[in-house]
Amino acid sequence: MAPRPENNMASEFRFHKNGILGSPRARLNGLIFVFWLGMAVVIVRLYVVQVIKHHHYLALARDNVVKVVPIPPLRGEITDRNGVVLVRNGPDFAVFEIPGEVRHPRRELAWLAYDLGIPANQLRHSLSRLGFVLPPHMPVPLETGLSMAQVGRVNMDLYRLPGFYIQVMPKRIYPPDNIGAHLLGYVGSFTSSDLKGSFYRHLPPGTGIGKSGIEKEYDALLQGAPGLRRQLVDSHGRIVRNLRNEPPKEGRSLRLTIDMRLQMTAERFLGDRRGAVVALDPRNGEILALASHPSYSSEELSQAMSSARWKTLVQATDHPLTDRAVQGLYPPGSVFKIVTTLAGLSEHKVDPDASFHCAGTFRVGSVIFHDWKRGGHGTIHLHKAIEQSCDIFFYHLGMTLGPEPIARVARLFGLGSRTGIDLPAELSGVVPDREWKRKYLHTPWYPGETPPMAIGQGYLTVTPLEMARLMGAVAMNGQLSHPHLLLGERGNGTGQRAPDLTPIPIPKKDFDIVRADLRDVVAAPHGTGHPVNLPFFAIAGKTGTAQVVSNRGKNKGTKRPKADSWFVGFGPFDDPRIVVAVLIENGGDGGDVAGPVAREVFRMFYITRLAEKGNPTPAVAS
Amino acid sequence: MVAKILAYVVRVHPAFLVVLSALLLIDLLTLFSVSPYLAVKQGLWEVFGLLMGLGILLVPYSFFLKNARWIYGVVLALLAIVFLGGHASHGARRWIGLGWFQIQPSEFMILGLILFLTWLFVPEKRDIPLRPARFAAGLLASVFPALLIARQPDLGTAFELMIIFSVFVFLKGIPSRIVTISVLAGLAFFPVLWEGVWTHLHEFQKDRIRAFIDPASDPSGLGYHTIQSIVAVGSGGWFGQGLSGATQVRYQFLPGAHTDFVFAVFTEEWGFAGALVFLALISYLVWFGFRTAMDCRDPAGFYLSAGVTGFFLFCFLINVLMVLGILPVVGVPMPLMSYGGSAMIVSLGAMALLMNVRFYAKR
Repeated sequence: MAPRPENNMASEFRFHKNGILGSPRARLNGLIFVFWLGMAVVIVRLYVVQVIKHHHYLALARDNVVKVVPIPPLRGEITDRNGVVLVRNGPDFAVFEIPGEVRHPRRELAWLAYDLGIPANQLRHSLSRLGFVLPPHMPVPLETGLSMAQVGRVNMDLYRLPGFYIQVMPKRIYPPDNIGAHLLGYVGSFTSSDLKGSFYRHLPPGTGIGKSGIEKEYDALLQGAPGLRRQLVDSHGRIVRNLRNEPPKEGRSLRLTIDMRLQMTAERFLGDRRGAVVALDPRNGEILALASHPSYSSEELSQAMSSARWKTLVQATDHPLTDRAVQGLYPPGSVFKIVTTLAGLSEHKVDPDASFHCAGTFRVGSVIFHDWKRGGHGTIHLHKAIEQSCDIFFYHLGMTLGPEPIARVARLFGLGSRTGIDLPAELSGVVPDREWKRKYLHTPWYPGETPPMAIGQGYLTVTPLEMARLMGAVAMNGQLSHPHLLLGERGNGTGQRAPDLTPIPIPKKDFDIVRADLRDVVAAPHGTGHPVNLPFFAIAGKTGTAQVVSNRGKNKGTKRPKADSWFVGFGPFDDPRIVVAVLIENGGDGGDVAGPVAREVFRMFYITRLAEKGNPTPAVAS
Repeated sequence: MVAKILAYVVRVHPAFLVVLSALLLIDLLTLFSVSPYLAVKQGLWEVFGLLMGLGILLVPYSFFLKNARWIYGVVLALLAIVFLGGHASHGARRWIGLGWFQIQPSEFMILGLILFLTWLFVPEKRDIPLRPARFAAGLLASVFPALLIARQPDLGTAFELMIIFSVFVFLKGIPSRIVTISVLAGLAFFPVLWEGVWTHLHEFQKDRIRAFIDPASDPSGLGYHTIQSIVAVGSGGWFGQGLSGATQVRYQFLPGAHTDFVFAVFTEEWGFAGALVFLALISYLVWFGFRTAMDCRDPAGFYLSAGVTGFFLFCFLINVLMVLGILPVVGVPMPLMSYGGSAMIVSLGAMALLMNVRFYAKR
């Protein structure tokens, strides 16, 4: 590079001329050239990063900064029809973990387990349930239901447990003595498989979701919507400032059709026996009581439970988790004679006034069927056959009808299909006929199978709820109701829906005949249902004593278990307002065993709903 | 004397004064957005540095060059004290405690080395060709403190010393055949040299180089600095996010926001437009240094101002390219901008030396 003129003038010294680029001045120019080159690179790079890719990096910066943590909503309460609170929320202490902030998980979990007094592997287990699905800043409850002693010990250790903290969270409080456990259900924290479904994805861990019963059926209503806590965090995840929060939306409080007084009465008189009680209003299908025993503790199931305990519950021989009222499948026994009678009347195969001789046995081919009463009932007609539940009469009627008309009428009453009650996992019974048997058992219908069906045995199964609905339709002249549990939301008036009844195409006079018979089952001194009789409350109904040998295959040929006891009835006779169905497994005689339970439910209904309206006040049952 | 010098600076170089003041104010504003406390401290250092600069202006640079050996020796002694037992912070041993503040001798070694190399390479104000003996002496004078500093560990400052040495050797001129031979030899022995350097690096230094090769390989770990820095720069856009909107800085996603990555802070806050203004200011200072050297009729003044300019421009470029993810994170701070008392004094001292050459050199 040639020196500039002024430099020539200015220079009074001589640079040596060796080396690359000739002179020091030229080399300094070289350095400056490198600088301009570098500056060009810097400006191009700045333009690319700041102008061209600006939005990309801005989005990255925003991601860096705002942390969104969901706030769990408070779950709605559940009340009975009168506003009695069945399920509410109470405080619970839980130790939470923020997985992203835990430094030495194994060591700290061991400390925590020691403080809590539980095995360390149990803690790790609960962590692994959700740990992989959630973002690392999302708090996960590790252990709930802490005692104050546990809270104290953990609190003292928190200084060396970074990423863990104790927080009060709501827990569900259910009625005492497991009342209505099946009906209400329970909640549980969601698992990673729940998370994969989209609905629960936005919920914070530890939020209870309905696992069964009403809690599950109406989970979407009860759940509410979680709020969002938006926090500015720094690179350590420390909260710098709280941004605008979206408060959680509390879940809706539900009002059930259940009457707690009837529910408690039903459970009390069911006692320790295995069975179910259904009480409903035949005019609109509102369920007044829905009991099942043996039961479980909703509160226990709502908390984290050891797998061993869960196993004992699931494998228990008396099936406490089964809601017998809607999931228990039983032969209806003699209660089914109502259906056979109505089938006979509509097919004109039975004359109410014709007399019939019951000798105590009935023969189909080589098979001899016996009446429950040794020696038979002698000469009777339809009325007495129902009142005293004569089997021979119905064997005969069944044989003249064949299975199809009986099955047809049974299906008109909704047997063999779900009632559609608002509970998850309802089951339906089976109404067999020739086609059903060919389809499912791949064998023809044998004539000897018709007589048991006529008296509600054989392949026929029903749930207590189905029987209650059937009896309701009989009481209402063939208006079939649709059972339901939800009355409305709390604070929204009564919320009673318009009665939604499906008419059954059977003449009213047929129902009149059957109803008169059913009244005498209870009222007549020799009626099988006489133990149900209340002097101040006109009840009609039908007993059933269903032998269980044929249908529960494993017992076949072994020691004969006692028959299942049924009583299904309604009252008041002239203006039906309640149907009660009682089933007691292996109880024995229907009238004597199931009857008194039904009677006490009727009595409570009378006391609470009818007595104050000018009716005589009875003595309260002991 | 002070009045005369001030009058000279104000009258002859008002642009320099304006540019330097602007940069110092930008520095304070940027640091203020990171941490007001640091900004206040840095402001005190700036004032202190300006006073030091004024002090430097009072003494002709020839005096400093005459005593360059002693200055260099004192700084080296301080480095040795640090090496033997200095004040540790963040796992590094770099400081000497002096009551309520600490000084960082490694920074002063920058000025010491510039003076010492000028004295060494331009004896008796004559520009003589570089002979092997002086070259070796200069190499030793640079490498020894660089090694001491690298052990602190402070790779960035050690790197700066080597830049200064390279600048001087380059300006001094190396015969073409030696350049050719050393380049060939360097290429031939590169694996061996690399191995030698690599094994002596600290693990975190190695990680930085690994991260440079692929920043995205481990976003939360090795490449974190680079990625957060680019995110900060990129979110600036045309006109920046302003002092309050620069979230990368405000919420401490940017590590070293007040030191090595102060340029990323500035660009996040002021955007591309602000960056262009800033680069123009820096370019002016480089041009000022370049003109000082070019106009100087004294070979010692030429090398001194060219050395200062070379040091300044390379540190600046390396820092910016590091912030923009083009160079690895070697830890070279930005002169005049990065937080640090000693560094600020050294930067302002370097500026004062430029002005000193302007003022005292025979014209």
